[in-house]
Amino acid sequence: MISSDGIEDEEKWLAEGIAGLQQNAFHMHRSLVPIPKPNPNFVRLNFNSRFLDFKFVVVLLKDSNNLRDALKYSAQMLSELRTSRLSPHKYYDLYMRAFDELRKLEMFFKEETKRGCSIIDLYELVQHAGNILPRLYLLCTVGSVYIKSKEAPAKDVLKDLVEMCRGVQHPVRGLFLRSYLSQVSRDKLPDIGSEYEGCYSACEFILFGDPELRPAIGLSGLQGPAREKEKREKERSELRDLVGKNLHVLSQIEGIDLDMYKDTVLPRILEQVVNCKDELAQYYLMDCIIQVFPDEYHLQTLETLLGACPQLQPTVDIKTVLSQLMERLSNYAASSAEVLPEFLQVEAFAKLSNAIGKVIEAQVDMPVVGSISLYVSLLTFTLRVHPDRLDYVDQVLGACVKKLSGKAKIEDSKATKQIVALLSAPLEKYNDIGIALKLSNYPRVMDHLDNGTNKVMAVVIIQSIMKNNSCISTAEKVEALFELIKGLIKDLDGTPVDELDEEDFKEEQNSVGRLIYMFYNDDPEEMLKIISVVRKHILTGGPTRLAFTVPPLIFSALKLVRRLQGQDGDVIGEDMPATPKKIFQLLHQTIEALLSVPAPELALKLYLQCAEAANDCDLELVAYEFFTQAFILYEEEVADSKAQVTAIHLIIGTLQRMNIFGVENRDTLTHKATGYSAKLLKKPDQCRAVYACSHLFWVDDQDGVKDGERVLLCLKRALRIANAAQQMANVTRGSSGSVALFVEILNKYLYFFEKGNPQITSSVIQGLIELITTEMQSENSTPDPSADAFFSSTLRYIQFQKQKGGVMGEKYEAIKA
Amino acid sequence: MPSRRRTLLKVIILGDSGVGKTSLMNQYVNKKFSNQYKATIGADFLTKEVQFEDRLFTLQIWDTAGQERFQSLGVAFYRGADCCVLVYDVNVMKSFDNLNNWREEFLIQASPSDPENFPFVVLGNKVDVDGGNSRVVSEKKARAWCASKGNIPYFETSAKEGVNVEEAFQCIAKNALKTGEEEEIYLPDTIDVGGGSQQRSSGCEC
Repeated sequence: MISSDGIEDEEKWLAEGIAGLQQNAFHMHRSLVPIPKPNPNFVRLNFNSRFLDFKFVVVLLKDSNNLRDALKYSAQMLSELRTSRLSPHKYYDLYMRAFDELRKLEMFFKEETKRGCSIIDLYELVQHAGNILPRLYLLCTVGSVYIKSKEAPAKDVLKDLVEMCRGVQHPVRGLFLRSYLSQVSRDKLPDIGSEYEGCYSACEFILFGDPELRPAIGLSGLQGPAREKEKREKERSELRDLVGKNLHVLSQIEGIDLDMYKDTVLPRILEQVVNCKDELAQYYLMDCIIQVFPDEYHLQTLETLLGACPQLQPTVDIKTVLSQLMERLSNYAASSAEVLPEFLQVEAFAKLSNAIGKVIEAQVDMPVVGSISLYVSLLTFTLRVHPDRLDYVDQVLGACVKKLSGKAKIEDSKATKQIVALLSAPLEKYNDIGIALKLSNYPRVMDHLDNGTNKVMAVVIIQSIMKNNSCISTAEKVEALFELIKGLIKDLDGTPVDELDEEDFKEEQNSVGRLIYMFYNDDPEEMLKIISVVRKHILTGGPTRLAFTVPPLIFSALKLVRRLQGQDGDVIGEDMPATPKKIFQLLHQTIEALLSVPAPELALKLYLQCAEAANDCDLELVAYEFFTQAFILYEEEVADSKAQVTAIHLIIGTLQRMNIFGVENRDTLTHKATGYSAKLLKKPDQCRAVYACSHLFWVDDQDGVKDGERVLLCLKRALRIANAAQQMANVTRGSSGSVALFVEILNKYLYFFEKGNPQITSSVIQGLIELITTEMQSENSTPDPSADAFFSSTLRYIQFQKQKGGVMGEKYEAIKA
Repeated sequence: MPSRRRTLLKVIILGDSGVGKTSLMNQYVNKKFSNQYKATIGADFLTKEVQFEDRLFTLQIWDTAGQERFQSLGVAFYRGADCCVLVYDVNVMKSFDNLNNWREEFLIQASPSDPENFPFVVLGNKVDVDGGNSRVVSEKKARAWCASKGNIPYFETSAKEGVNVEEAFQCIAKNALKTGEEEEIYLPDTIDVGGGSQQRSSGCEC
């Protein structure tokens, strides 16, 4: 019978079933016209006559043709439900059609009783249908009218019905029949609860009147070939709502108050759940219990509910069940502040925490990811319900550490993802790294991450700090923070960095750099402590990291120096720990570390920064020392000619702004700087550096150096170099080079002329202009439009100054352009 | 044969989990409300007698599980519905966005004979929450959607305070009645003169 394309056959069988059902329903409808009057021939039959043939009985009822037909056709219609060839899904389709038809029959019965037909007689009459399944459907239908009529105690009727429903052995058909009974008596149950019988019986009816609960959800074992098993699993999962619905019906009964739920309902449901010993059924039923009963009931019965968890089969997906429970409870807590005391009163956290521990203990085969996700749920719960209880948070993390301890670092990516979720949750909740730093177990959890994930987590921490603009204000906190992000600070267990993408590495280290600026304390002493801590840690980072981490440390320290300097100078005594001098000493040693990278150009820049800061603190010797260091670097380490040009201009610029040097020190430094300038590789670079040096001798301040003679010397020297460059061009290319250098020098002349340097006279300028003009007109000059434009705009400037008149105009008058 | 007018009207309530389908039904049928959230499993109905133009009808109201995992047997109970009620929570945008899915799913599964004109009624529930301050779906927006779907009647309700519930179900019943009266009548291909049809069932004797 069962062919390979079972699905097609099933469609056919369903279609046949529907056709049979509709035909009989059609005849049934025709019979559903009211019986004119109570029938004198209606014979009361006792229960024993149940087994009489239906046809025989209707013979006794000759005159009640309508009722007879209605019963006959409805029984035939219901016979279609006797099929065992349909899957639960298809069977439900057929069942629903029969269900709809039975509603009409029910209304007919109701009308009949209003017209005087005895409901008891009806109840007994329908028991003569030949087959048990149609008979029971009819019985339940009349039964629901019977209960409503209040002619017999609802409890007795239900008990009778439940007893009889047990007669159906087939699990699927039986389950649907039970569902039918529960459905048609559903709207009568609140009445039973409140008015007549007490809720207790209602509860008993739903729970224990259900012999199908166990066989159906268990659906007879998992033996048989794999394909069969798969099919059975599917059927079972389709059927589960029929079972779950009983719980739903139960939850809708108003009479079941908290006490009753606590003392009777829940313990008995759980007893059944535990005893059914089937993992799918247990999972589903636990899910149902949590979803259909109200939160406050769960809260008040946590112990009982959670107590059942370790008793479930070891393979039950208990973590999802518990997560859903905790999520519901957190939502409940969030719904109103008034319910929070309830949580405290029942010690919800302790109970949940305890239960999770027990479940993890009981389910030895649960993968690590399972237990960690349980902790994530618990943490989410406590963060939402008890945000003020940091000890709870730490406790959850501690339990997680305990679970992970003794194990190798977690490699499973799902598990590490959960740990990241666990560690991120407090950051997201509090938006304050300070909180995480207070959690003693936080770094211990991090230690269980593999190096890659550890870094990911470190980046998450830094991003949280940056996003919230959190200031970390004590050395102690900074120390704790570095412990958390150590994966970024140094190589862990000697893992080589080379596996890492260079871009990623830069990104990581830049984030560490940004982080350093987030450390701040108003108290200079604490700030110095912070700086020392940072220094201690970043120096362990090795050459690849120093270039990223040293500069922010230096600038952070220089900020402190300027803060100290801004204070009243007298306050700073020698006994104070935080003095600029001491800080400079520290910085000196720190910058030195860059030499191991090596990063001489960076170190040079930092030395100059320090020198400038020392200048502002009136520390001549310190500033001098920094310059010396910069010069040593320049001489010994900066080899590339382009780097030299950049460096020399930085040196000149910084030196120009220094004002604390005595004559001797200043002479030494400026002498060196001009010396370096003249020794640059390319002539144009030499020329530009030398004319820049002229500014070292003329500082446009009130007390600035004003040594006109040496300015002129510089400029003349620059001219000579420009000349030499021109000649070199002649030799090598056969044409003279650009006049650009001359025009640039002319502009320097004009600057000092205006500043009143007596050495720079109008005639000197005049001579230079003529020189440039001649050069430009010479036959073998190389055309250089930008130099030409520069020159003509310089001449226009001179013209403009003349026309403007005044003192400056008079000064310019002598120059003929 | 006598043409019997229908007296049973079937109504299906659909909508996301937690929008208040069960509460609306309970408020209408039992005049009761509970703040407690209890999920519905499968499908479940309550009945209520309604009077309309001097005739008595039984309204069969089907409440459904909003959570898909509690609808394992499918939705065969949609068949034969006379009206479909779509419920959303005015405080949850997603529940409004999903109305379209619910409507389409219903039309596919219930396959009514005239899907274009099948009566729907939309209820925007929980208007009482936080004095309306947490509301995210405006009445205008909801009405616009209803208008675009063929002028679906729209009500703003509060199952908690019983606001508009009676009015909404009056309208639902009225619309269900329209469909109910137009419903086609099944006629068998053959009339079995003998009156008995043979049993095809191959199942056991139960």
